[in-house]
Amino acid sequence: MLRKLRLLGVLTVFGAAAAASAQAQSGGVLHFCLHGEPKTFNPILVDDEAAENVRYLTGGVLIRLNRQSQALEPGLATSWHISKDGRMIAFQLRKGLRFSDGTPFTSEDVAYTIKSLMDPQLHSPTGDSFRSGEGAVEILTPTPDTVSITFPAPVAGLERLFDQVAMMSAHSPKKEMAVLGPFYISDYKAGSYVELARNPNYWKHDAQGRALPYLDGIHLDIQRNRDIELLRFERGELQLINRLDAESYKRLSKDSSSTPRNAGTGLDSDFLWFNQSPNAPIADPRKSWFRTTEFRRAVSSAINREDISRIVFDGHAKPAMGPVSPANHFWFNSAIPAPKYDPQGALKLLAQAGFRFANDELRDKSGNRVEFTLVTNSGNAVREKMASMIQQDLSEIGIKVSIVTLDFPSLIERMTRTFDYDACLLGLVNTDLDPNGQMTVWLSSGENHQWNPGQKTPATAWEAELDKLMHEQATALADKDRKKAFDQAQQIIYEQQPYIYLVNRDVLTAFSPAVQGAAPTVLTPPAFWNADVLQLAASPQQGAHK
Amino acid sequence: MSAPKSLRLISAFLLCVIFLLALGANFIAPYSYAKQFRDAPAAAPSAAHLFGTDALGRDEFSRLLYGTRVSLLLAPAAALLSTLIAGILGGLAGFLGGWWERAILASADLLMALPLLFVLLALRATLPLDVAPLISAMATFLILSLLGWPSSLRVIWAAARNIRESDFLLLARSSGSSPLRIIARQILPNLRPVLAAQFWVNIPVFILAEATLSMLGLGVMEPLPSWGNLLRGLENPSAFHANPWTIAPLILLILVVFCFQFILPSREDFA
Amino acid sequence: MTGSPILSDGGAVKRALRLFLCKAVWLVAVILVGGLFGATLVRYGPGYGVDERELDPRLSQASVEALRGQHHQNASLLSYYGHYLKSAVHGDFGTSESTQRPISELIHQRLPVTARTVLLGMLSAWSLALFLAMLGQFLRGWIFEVCSTLLTGFLLALPSTVIALLFVYFRAPVFLAVACVTFPKLFRFIHNLLVEAYEQPHVLAARARGIGPVRIFLRHVLAFAAPALFALVGVSLSLAFGAAIPIEALTDSPGIGQLAWFAAINRDLPLVVNLTLLVTLVTVAGNSLADYSGQLAARAS
Repeated sequence: MLRKLRLLGVLTVFGAAAAASAQAQSGGVLHFCLHGEPKTFNPILVDDEAAENVRYLTGGVLIRLNRQSQALEPGLATSWHISKDGRMIAFQLRKGLRFSDGTPFTSEDVAYTIKSLMDPQLHSPTGDSFRSGEGAVEILTPTPDTVSITFPAPVAGLERLFDQVAMMSAHSPKKEMAVLGPFYISDYKAGSYVELARNPNYWKHDAQGRALPYLDGIHLDIQRNRDIELLRFERGELQLINRLDAESYKRLSKDSSSTPRNAGTGLDSDFLWFNQSPNAPIADPRKSWFRTTEFRRAVSSAINREDISRIVFDGHAKPAMGPVSPANHFWFNSAIPAPKYDPQGALKLLAQAGFRFANDELRDKSGNRVEFTLVTNSGNAVREKMASMIQQDLSEIGIKVSIVTLDFPSLIERMTRTFDYDACLLGLVNTDLDPNGQMTVWLSSGENHQWNPGQKTPATAWEAELDKLMHEQATALADKDRKKAFDQAQQIIYEQQPYIYLVNRDVLTAFSPAVQGAAPTVLTPPAFWNADVLQLAASPQQGAHK
Repeated sequence: MSAPKSLRLISAFLLCVIFLLALGANFIAPYSYAKQFRDAPAAAPSAAHLFGTDALGRDEFSRLLYGTRVSLLLAPAAALLSTLIAGILGGLAGFLGGWWERAILASADLLMALPLLFVLLALRATLPLDVAPLISAMATFLILSLLGWPSSLRVIWAAARNIRESDFLLLARSSGSSPLRIIARQILPNLRPVLAAQFWVNIPVFILAEATLSMLGLGVMEPLPSWGNLLRGLENPSAFHANPWTIAPLILLILVVFCFQFILPSREDFA
Repeated sequence: MTGSPILSDGGAVKRALRLFLCKAVWLVAVILVGGLFGATLVRYGPGYGVDERELDPRLSQASVEALRGQHHQNASLLSYYGHYLKSAVHGDFGTSESTQRPISELIHQRLPVTARTVLLGMLSAWSLALFLAMLGQFLRGWIFEVCSTLLTGFLLALPSTVIALLFVYFRAPVFLAVACVTFPKLFRFIHNLLVEAYEQPHVLAARARGIGPVRIFLRHVLAFAAPALFALVGVSLSLAFGAAIPIEALTDSPGIGQLAWFAAINRDLPLVVNLTLLVTLVTVAGNSLADYSGQLAARAS
């Protein structure tokens, strides 16, 4: 089957921009924060959020995923097609493009980027998502504006992956600092800021033919502390907050001068799981509880997700039951029932598995008091609150929970090396809509199969079934067949509750009234995905910011 | 110059009241420190909740009482221990001089410069995850005092050195008293004011250090309150806007430290 | 110990040089031990060799294994430390594991920020402490005593974390936070020193003879207090530096403190070793400066 995408005449984003441009003027510098130090500016090595944000703002990609419509759009490539066997993709490149430093962009640059990306020594997460089988990638550049890439094995959802691949120049003396995106890095002070300037060679134009981006530049302050970010936003030193927590959202909502915006339920999820690893150095009765399906299901139904959403997230989160958020329109399995808070049902389930509830205490068959520790990462107020609420909820069915917060490296060491913990509360930041992005989470051999990672052979029948279904969805070529397999996988995850899903948080952002053209979405980056069409109102005090 | 007698009396009285309130938390606190009133999260002060409730709907007044008990018993104990260690080592260094002095001062400098975070992380790793909260809190304060003495050492050492060079010590030495006797009879009593000053300087440090530790999985863990983890509520300015009583633990902390300052002789002896 | 007048100048210089060399060797030894301790703590502490990136579901098995293998190059601590010292002598301080940038570059970017914070903090704390302490001598009386006790007591009771939070909230410059932490200790010391100086018999005698207060202050009081004040400069340096580290980390000021926090949470062994050496250097140097200047001044007076 030959899949071909027609070039869209006018991109949807331009519609919004045109409306806004009536009042706003081009120019100005937008100020907002990165929440950590970008570890690299090399687009193929990017693996942290800050660097990813910089890459999004500076990098030019062949195909862009529209963060609002969740559809693919032409970027540096005007069109592309994928071969029937799913191994080859061919691009027709836009003609006459130049990097920010003036170096021309040709198919050679695409070949150079892909070659660098696929270098196995680099261990680039972006590159790894393309790796489908053993063997080398073959790249052909018949003309300066056509390129074809052949992978050793079919890659499911191939074209979508190119959204993450920022093109680098093969010839520019500036190396990775020469970019094709709307902005380029003009200054950087470690620990302090990254300054982006408008790329004069950016290829996009608005409906009136004006060159994009409208902004002269973006000043990104490196600010780990979210409270400082909020204070500075309130004082007008920042004009945008990319991700806001519920408490700050509430505070900004009371303040009439700013406009916090809720983009709706996001893709990220918070969940807890019990350690089922056979290597775990935990006492025996606990191990067998954690492996009991009824136990996990009972814990799940004894947690009041509505309360968590209402109290911890001020209502800005949706109780979750499965691994896919309803925000993921295509892959969400709507057949999975909504979560229900049911402590009585939980006690019934526990009784079926031989647990006894008496004098407000739950005991197992042999009379052991049911108790466990719940670890979570420290310094995360939201998660600590969730843990405290779970602690109280479970005490209602007689389970004693102790909460221990650990710093991230210690926590990861316990999760992946020593397996010395009972249960863990964490979240998953989901940037990929496609289930292929989660293969290592669901395959029993996967390193991110957190409840029992890296199994030689599946420990349980349902994990074997899950393996089968995940392979099925990865190899099926028709989206319909992939969806069917992944729906079944979601059903198994719901029945077995290896991860007890708690909530999907809403994506909350904030803009100062000066920012025009804002259209926050649930996909990353939520607030500035359309940075090239954002504008600042021409008020004198906004221009004075520095 | 020490505080007037009346001020001392008032301070002692206040401290007694605070201690009694903390000890009697079980009887005085209207609710359990862990009980979540989920219908009233982050509520303003009312008849039902004197100081309002925290973000999870827990009664702030009850939590403050219980938190006071943990912090006010353990932090002074830790401060006492660390001041004693600093006193002994500083006294030795100041009195003996020479290589002893150099070694003790160097080890204090080292301990101050080391990334102690890792010592605490290692401690967390060696302890089992589910230790009882009280044991964990006590272990934490013990470690804090074992690691916290260097900050007081130099002050005490300087004072001890001054005493060494003073006339009455020369007299004691020339009369043939043994070094141990000199330390016990002459140096330590003369160091008392400095030690007292260091003691109350250390109390707030330890109270707050405990809060930092609970972030590393040590110290007082949820839902048990302590001043340290109550003070962490201040990190979020909006919580303070919603309920000004979040600042109560800080006020109490300052009050207690003041009281300690006035009760104990302190002023004259930094020099 | 005072120099004998019979000794020739050459002998005195030689002796001073030897004393200085001895001190320097001792200082270097202490700093090196500090670095080794720092390295040991990181290397054998929990979470070493763990990389947050391992949790990235996009990474292949091979990449996860490579991430895990990366840290084992530093498996033997002593050989690592020896190797590090050897390259450090040649000016190569290694590469940070988490950022892959040369450490000399990272420190070079941040040291000026911290130096500025510490120096300005010390300067403000010293000026205020000196001014108030002198004012106290002219304003003698219980009102001043009570006010100053309350102020310094309040500042001492405020833990530095809370001070940092307040400065975040009011967006005041970071160096003032450092000043707030150092000022009360400085003030109390200087104040007591001046009280003691004015109680000296010769000062009392001078006052009885009706010599002007300014002259008394300059001629007698300062002369008495100078050695201790000199010593205090060194102590206050290590005090201010020690306060600046956590304050910078809390207020997100792009200095050494922020870098140290970053190094610690990333278990960046080379970076932690370098920073430990730096912090030990400043602490030890500050304190030695105090001892040395104290001794010198004592000898001069």
